Amino acid sequence: MDLRKSCHVQKFDGKDTKHRTLITAANSKSNSKANSVEPEQLIIEEELSSNDDDNVRQLTPQEKVQDTKLIPSDNYHKYCYRHNPDVQTNKASDFNKMNEIQLNLERIPSKDQNMINSIWSNFGSANSFQRNLILQGLLTQCCFPQLSFISQEISSLIRIDFISTLPVEISSKILCYLDCASLCNAAQVSKKWQKLADDDRVWHHMCEQHIDRKCPNCGWGLPLLSMKRAREFTVETNKQTKRRKLSSSSSGSSSGSFGSSSSGKPEFKTRPWKTVYSERFKVERNWRKGIFKTREFKGHKDGILCLKYDHKYLFTGSYDTTIKMWDINTGECLKTLESHQKGVKSLVFDEQKLITGSFDSTIKVWNYHSGECISTYRGHTDSVLSVDFYKKFIVSGSADRTLKIWNVENRTCYALRGHLDNVNSVKIHSKSLTVFSGSDDCTIRMWDLKTNKCLKIFKGHIAEVQKVIPLNLPEDYELSQDINEGDEEEEEEGEDELSEDASEFGTIDYNDSTREYPTYLLTASLDNTIKLWNVKTGKCIRTQFGHVEGIWDISCDNFRIVSGAHDRFTKIWDLQTGKCMNTFSGHNSPVTCVGIGDSSFASGCDTGLVRLTNFDIM
Amino acid sequence: MSEITLTSSDNESFKVEKKIAERSILIKNMIGDLAGDDDDGFEIPIPNVRSTVLKKVIEWATHHKDTSFPDDEDEDSRKSAPVDEWDKEFLKVDQEMLYEIILAANYLNIRPLLDAGCKVVAEMIRGKSPEEIRRTFNIVNDFSPEEEEAIKRENEWAEDR
Repeated sequence: MDLRKSCHVQKFDGKDTKHRTLITAANSKSNSKANSVEPEQLIIEEELSSNDDDNVRQLTPQEKVQDTKLIPSDNYHKYCYRHNPDVQTNKASDFNKMNEIQLNLERIPSKDQNMINSIWSNFGSANSFQRNLILQGLLTQCCFPQLSFISQEISSLIRIDFISTLPVEISSKILCYLDCASLCNAAQVSKKWQKLADDDRVWHHMCEQHIDRKCPNCGWGLPLLSMKRAREFTVETNKQTKRRKLSSSSSGSSSGSFGSSSSGKPEFKTRPWKTVYSERFKVERNWRKGIFKTREFKGHKDGILCLKYDHKYLFTGSYDTTIKMWDINTGECLKTLESHQKGVKSLVFDEQKLITGSFDSTIKVWNYHSGECISTYRGHTDSVLSVDFYKKFIVSGSADRTLKIWNVENRTCYALRGHLDNVNSVKIHSKSLTVFSGSDDCTIRMWDLKTNKCLKIFKGHIAEVQKVIPLNLPEDYELSQDINEGDEEEEEEGEDELSEDASEFGTIDYNDSTREYPTYLLTASLDNTIKLWNVKTGKCIRTQFGHVEGIWDISCDNFRIVSGAHDRFTKIWDLQTGKCMNTFSGHNSPVTCVGIGDSSFASGCDTGLVRLTNFDIM
Repeated sequence: MSEITLTSSDNESFKVEKKIAERSILIKNMIGDLAGDDDDGFEIPIPNVRSTVLKKVIEWATHHKDTSFPDDEDEDSRKSAPVDEWDKEFLKVDQEMLYEIILAANYLNIRPLLDAGCKVVAEMIRGKSPEEIRRTFNIVNDFSPEEEEAIKRENEWAEDR
């Protein structure tokens, strides 16, 4: 092999001459041999030529000499691609070609065979410069049909296995431009391709581009699956085989956390990124195609009013005055919390506590692990319709038309007045310390949690607003918007009201770096629509139609919105486009509340049934 | 307007405007290192690039001498940008030339050309079945039938979406 190499490495210097003489000698020898025993010569010729491309075989001395023909045309790797001994993949077509030549050669007289052979030999023994000269001369003699023949031959001859032969970092770069289906096909091409196309770096890049965000190239985004991962994590922690920290923190960890995952905690057992990707891909596909399984949670004696769930527990509040805590994975009712005097209209929970708001005008805080009611907040003079909390604050919305800010630490309470009717939905936006509220007066208000002042009023719904969700979406997240939305008159009307009692209103400083205001607002109303608002301009930029009766509740993540309506249907909408992706029946009474997770959504209805629609199935 | 002479591996020389040559970060840095010497007319050997390829690369750099490319740091916009129409035409060459242009762009550190070359190769792969990819690049399937079946099953999930 060493000798072979030294032959290949020959460049365009003086040494060429020496080799050429050698070759000429060898050729004349074989020529004379050929004259006497024709068939044998042909066989040798074939062996020699095909051997040029077959570098695994043992070489006879004669072949070694023949090999010197292979003058490098390329300086990068010392060999040209075609004659590189490392390239073992693309010899098949050369071999076929050789057989074809053999057959054609046998059809002509031996004299002519000898003539053709000497042309080949001369060309073979020429150096690179001379070869080009010979070719140029031949080309000038060619008629167009022959040129056309050459051009066809060449296009099939010059085929290079880019991925296997380019430097690995460039191959990776190329593969990173592919979509996942093409990448999976690439992995099936050959062993070398499989190694490169299944490479963890390539799939890490794929994960970064798709998980929890929409890929700018293909428009697909994959769920974070924090719930699923969290489930695996806790299960596997016990078995002491921990999983990769893809999305460890359940709240809004995004692509930023990927980078740190490879380093750091050595006790984490890592899974290939391709597996991480495919797992999420399957869930996303099921979402899109509507492939799911459902689980029912039965037990409440009256209609469901509210629900919330995470990877372990589902909490439901009902007209029957109780709250039920369910195992989300088995459907088993774990606890029934009783203390409210009337229906439980709203609930929120975290790791430790559960906070509920009821038609009995009270707010209760529960330790759901023990089932105890820890405290009761009284102050509203009518039903509590909505509750939310953040750190030391509990915010509630009530049928008494006020919002109340309860400071749990110093036991103070502050009422926010402004709405002209029931406050159906309150939501704290923690990054900006603002509160959003939706009311039966058809408006949404934005409040400052620091100054307790109203900051903005959003007008556009024509019936009771049932749900408000502030959103922070990345700037490059292109939301489709309606044309001609945001009626001028309404806008002016809003301005008037603001100017009337300007002292009552606070101002928003968007440059305040300590407060990151939400960019959009999503609202649902009994006017059958879901509206998307630009928080900065206060204008409605999109209205989603589809439900034929009022919408009671919506829930959303980075990709989609689930809505439940009086028309007994739940719908899944694409957050980005606003298009309805799926409509689900299954409830035989109005759907009063919904919740969404990475791979499932839950819906509760007026007859007391709760369904979990799960897309995480294989 | 200062000119620089670039010499290919096969000893062909090309006179190139400095601004054009500096599309190559490698050359730009070399010029920076040599600055202080006579700014005009120095000669830079490019021992890794053949003359026909170097000619193509210079053609590209000449066309793009006033183009401003997205920032190197901005991975996302570089990734998602489709190949410029002119570049696409420019890179309609045989695979050997494309191969050498990619290597030359890599060696000379011309990021936009390398990006375009890689994207063109990616387009040659995209949407093709494994067999079609093998045919495109003349690759021999070195899996045993059992291995092939197993790998096919392993990758089935991506097929329909």
